[in-house]
Amino acid sequence: MPIDKEHIRNFCIIAHIDHGKSTLADRLIEHTGTVARRKMQEQLLDDMELERQRGITIKARAVCLRYIYNNEVYEINLIDTPGHVDFHYEVSRSLACCEGALLLVDASQGVEAQTVANAIAAMNANLTIVPAVNKVDLVNARFDEVVVEMEQTLGIDPSEVLKCSGKSGIGVDDILSAVIERVPPPQGDPNATLQAMVFDSHYDAYRGVVTYVRVMNGVIKKGQKVKFLKGGNVHEVLELGQFVPAQRPCEELTTGEVGYIICNIKSIKQVHIGDTISIAGDQSAKALPGYQAPKRMVYCGLYPSDGQDFSELRDALEKLSINDPSFEFEPETSDALGFGFRCGFLGMLHMEIVQQRLEQESDVDLVQTAPNVTYEIKYKRTGEVVQIHKPQDVPDSGDIEEFRQPIVRVNLIQPSEYIGTVMKLCQDRRGVLVRQEYISPTRSMIVYDLPLAEVIYDLHDKLKSATRGYGTMDYELLGYVAADLARMDILVNGNRVDALAVICNRADADRRGRAVCKKLKAEIERHMFEVAVQAAIGTRVIARETVPALRKNVTAKCYGGDISRKRKLWAKQKEGKKRMKAIGQVEIPQKAFMAVLDTGDDK
Amino acid sequence: MPPRAAYIHVPFCRHRCGYCNFTVIAGRDDLQAAYITALESELAASIVVPHEVDTLFIGGGTPTHLTAQNLQRLCALLHAWFPTAENYEWSVEANPRDITSKVAHLLQAQGVTRVSLGAQSFASGKLVMLERDHDAGIIRDAVGALRDSGLVVALDLIFGAPGESLSHWQDDLRQALALAPEHLSTYGLTFEKGTTFWGRLDKGELQTLPEELEREMYLAAIDMLTAAGYEHYEVSNFALVGQRCRHNENYWLGGEYFAAGPGAARYVAGRREMNHRSTTTWLARVTAGESPTAEFEELSPEDRARERLVFRLRRLEGLEIDAFACETGYRVEQLGGDALAQFIEQGLLAREDGRLRLTRRGLLVSDAMWPYFLRT
Repeated sequence: MPIDKEHIRNFCIIAHIDHGKSTLADRLIEHTGTVARRKMQEQLLDDMELERQRGITIKARAVCLRYIYNNEVYEINLIDTPGHVDFHYEVSRSLACCEGALLLVDASQGVEAQTVANAIAAMNANLTIVPAVNKVDLVNARFDEVVVEMEQTLGIDPSEVLKCSGKSGIGVDDILSAVIERVPPPQGDPNATLQAMVFDSHYDAYRGVVTYVRVMNGVIKKGQKVKFLKGGNVHEVLELGQFVPAQRPCEELTTGEVGYIICNIKSIKQVHIGDTISIAGDQSAKALPGYQAPKRMVYCGLYPSDGQDFSELRDALEKLSINDPSFEFEPETSDALGFGFRCGFLGMLHMEIVQQRLEQESDVDLVQTAPNVTYEIKYKRTGEVVQIHKPQDVPDSGDIEEFRQPIVRVNLIQPSEYIGTVMKLCQDRRGVLVRQEYISPTRSMIVYDLPLAEVIYDLHDKLKSATRGYGTMDYELLGYVAADLARMDILVNGNRVDALAVICNRADADRRGRAVCKKLKAEIERHMFEVAVQAAIGTRVIARETVPALRKNVTAKCYGGDISRKRKLWAKQKEGKKRMKAIGQVEIPQKAFMAVLDTGDDK
Repeated sequence: MPPRAAYIHVPFCRHRCGYCNFTVIAGRDDLQAAYITALESELAASIVVPHEVDTLFIGGGTPTHLTAQNLQRLCALLHAWFPTAENYEWSVEANPRDITSKVAHLLQAQGVTRVSLGAQSFASGKLVMLERDHDAGIIRDAVGALRDSGLVVALDLIFGAPGESLSHWQDDLRQALALAPEHLSTYGLTFEKGTTFWGRLDKGELQTLPEELEREMYLAAIDMLTAAGYEHYEVSNFALVGQRCRHNENYWLGGEYFAAGPGAARYVAGRREMNHRSTTTWLARVTAGESPTAEFEELSPEDRARERLVFRLRRLEGLEIDAFACETGYRVEQLGGDALAQFIEQGLLAREDGRLRLTRRGLLVSDAMWPYFLRT
């Protein structure tokens, strides 16, 4: 039975990571009887194994709920969103499919950095905000204070704030009725030409690409021929349906509805997120604005530690990228590490997740180089601006007119007692204070502009330890700004090791250089000869450490019973050496390639 | 061809010294008789028929800690199973305190040719630290008794004991040379897991010597002993002309050997086997008619060649390159690859007159080279 759009509501839940989004979503699904209680699995929407392991949501999910309110049946489409800053762009995708957003704040944690970032994004997208405080049944819940924080930071009307608990199910009915009453039904004309937005997709080994759509205008029917406007490719809709949350086929999706279509598309690359689907032929509707493509913020090299595994690694990366188009990779060669890939990620968490999945899903032992952000270089002679994804690509300083780095605006929220410590953290990283505000008598928010490179490496960890875990942060890219940057090379016995080069601020170079050399000295085993580790900018050596030569290493006793034992011991040492990378005659352990991240802070 | 060497392990000791991780049992002399009986069974089961040998070695533990009667029984056993060829060598390890003229005479009468004395040091402080029960006077008396019985004398010395200085060590070397033993072994003290020294090191009660000092001590031994006319023929071993330990040379050359006793390792028909290291377990197994073997391995021809390459290079005269290829079927270049070329270039190995051998520099860091010649 088709449903009229006045009885459709589309909303998403936005929250800081760990504020109970997925648990609440599970309660909503359970409460509306969408899934029988016995089939409930904790965090139904987080169905990737890794998401479950880490307790976080990575990809946005959609589920269709049926709810009877005032004796009328409503179709409520809930789109779950990730809470981590790395997956910010997934949030923006969800927002474009909704008319409302349930803003969830943890009753004890209060407003945090991603609460603010996601709420502002939802407001900017003109969504109706339904504010709610979650986990109100916690002993340390501080509902009233949290409401004040929401009012102060986001201008939320305190009288509109609902109380709920995903754990016990408190307030679930209130949320569902508030969504129906406050969130407007979708706009659009069911009689107009089909216009549907592609907001996600996944690859199913048996069915090909499953495309997630929100119908903006018109109706999409089974058997219909549709056109993907971006590529102009036309496909027949073999199946369409809704997520409940498993796929449930139906005959049509009408204006305002959210669901999926399957069109026998073999490659996920043919489906562009943000694309518009319309009818085949030349009477197609206009394309929707779509989304900005996700920006890769962090790059690193991934190499098989055994060169034999190169093609295995390539297969594993390809397999992963099928369901994660936000990650990209291209082959690269390093003198030190051989053949591998330069991979781009949305952020550090994304990088960790991809690496973890590679390790879980393939047997390849990986060497990872230190991550770096993307820089821009303006050439002197040509004026050409080039993006730099790896330090090795930085040209001679004489050719550089301007060296630019990405700057982000970082919101940091913490108990006010830590504000001094947090400010020092930011100042030490060349931050520029933008503003400071008190969001409650005890908590405050500071906003800094910081180089992205300084943020991604360890700011989050440092913030957590400086604030006993209470500080949170979020950031958005502001743009590229010229800075006094240089490529710092690392030389091992006079040989430049390309995989160890880093880009850093000239003023920090001495400190970083010393720290890196020291770290490498500790990682490199003693050899038969002295090993010099140097840091250099251009031809100028700025730091040096020496790994002294081995002086004595000889087993005294070796008789009948010792022969097998010694042979095995030495052969085992050989196994360890295999996993090292030889630079000239110097063997460098894999761990050392991350040593360049050492900032020299701890001195 | 069956092995022409045999090793017997005697686990008994008066006291387990703090640095020792050998198969040793202290304070259980009540097991001596049962041990000899078990050894009889092990030999009967594994040797089957008597085999003529060129070298015999009774090691320990402390073979001389056996009572005279048990020592005699042991020797009789060996006579039965391992009749000696002409010009045989028969070594017995001994604790200096055990070597009275009576014991020396007994050994000589049984056919022993060579006694290896665990002297370790002449300095009383160092001997106490090493938990040894003798002093310099007892060593001299023991050497005298062995000489009187016409036995060849080999002395073992340890260097690098905690607190030891270079001059103390040189003094030990001088005193050892004064006794003019035919053979000298010098061992750098190592801290092994399972010893009380290991635990004391861990707790910070003991300190290892700086690597540089150990190096100087080792070089001092090489320099003083070679100057005194001893040939430095293996990493830790020095001998007067014609006095190398033939039994040990057989190990290093990759030769095969019989063995019996707890923890003993044998190499027979291409198979390496190691008996259970616990004396009581070994006893129980042998007594029950079970095999005392705890571990074994059989190497491929290539791995065997690699092992030979390494252990032969630990002998200072090194190896003859062509002969090695004939014998093993592998050329050293093939086994050593790039690493071999590098070590030669770095002056750690020398290749001259058709031989490959360690240089002095190479000798000092040789353990760091061996992994490159082996494979997993």
